[in-house]
Amino acid sequence: MSPTQDLSNLSEAELMRMEREVAARHIDKFPYLAVVWAFSNLAVWLALWPLVFLGVIPLWLGFIIATFNIMLSYLPSHEAQHDIIAKPGARLRWLNQLVGHLSTIPLVLPYQVAKITHMDHHKHANDPDLDPDYSTHADGPLQAIWKSLYNRQPRANGGFNAYGEVLQRKGRIDVILVSVAYQVVHYGILIALAWSGYALEAALLWWLPRHIALTYIQYYLSWAPHNPGLTKGRYRDTRSFRAILGNIGSMGMQYHIIHHLHPRIPLYRTPRAYWEMKPILDARGCDIHEL
Amino acid sequence: MAQLIKSIFYFGPLIFGIGFLAPLTSQIIQAVGWTPPFGLSPLMTGLLVGGTLGVIAQYRGRWI
Repeated sequence: MSPTQDLSNLSEAELMRMEREVAARHIDKFPYLAVVWAFSNLAVWLALWPLVFLGVIPLWLGFIIATFNIMLSYLPSHEAQHDIIAKPGARLRWLNQLVGHLSTIPLVLPYQVAKITHMDHHKHANDPDLDPDYSTHADGPLQAIWKSLYNRQPRANGGFNAYGEVLQRKGRIDVILVSVAYQVVHYGILIALAWSGYALEAALLWWLPRHIALTYIQYYLSWAPHNPGLTKGRYRDTRSFRAILGNIGSMGMQYHIIHHLHPRIPLYRTPRAYWEMKPILDARGCDIHEL
Repeated sequence: MAQLIKSIFYFGPLIFGIGFLAPLTSQIIQAVGWTPPFGLSPLMTGLLVGGTLGVIAQYRGRWI
């Protein structure tokens, strides 16, 4: 099937059959890269602390590396949230859960919080009342960056602050407590380091990189693929787009529409699945005009 | 316990201002070699800056 082929004359059932055939070719592929990425990224970030404290590398270099580390910390967990590494009951299920739990430690985002709220995002994408990520909606790129920062303020209602409400609605007080523990430990470590004479290190290896990373992640993983985010439904709630930073620079999000349609396709297979599925998406009237 | 956690989070901006921004400011002052006015030590200046920012954020509910 060529990416420009016209399938608009096909029936709903035929389009669905073809879409499932394409998806089946990409599902159940083991995401080696995500697994290696999860552990090596965390290891590098952890190694930065002794390396900077012992003066092996300068703090400014540690800051740059830490910023990239924390930016890169979400996606392996995202693969785990969708059971892409291993489904429940599978032999490597422990690895799926390990990646999920460990990779977002620098981001101070518990795996359970990420998984529950992300599943709700898939279920209710662009619903102002039920989509946990709806607060990232904004009119343009600069507004999206501002919104991300604003949502992180102590008494803001959006961003991670909105996740507490979602968890409360779902009766997951246990997960709220895990989240509280993460926050207490995170700020406890920052404060302890600061009063021990390592405030600059704490600020530049964790606090500031985390805020930069959260802004970047919310921009490319939440705002850009859903913008303008006015419509709901399987073929309407997300899109493909051309990122200034390219597909790698946007962490593979240019093909986010594939992820929403078939969340168990690994991130590294979404570009290929997109080009194979493009005529079907076109026939469905999806927003794919940029790519 | 729940009440304690709620209080900690309620006073989060104040705690962060004094607990983190104050020593951070103090260590930035020392790193750049700046001498604070009125005979204030770097830590006193840090506490003043961090504490003030924390009080403002506590009152407004936001840092920016």
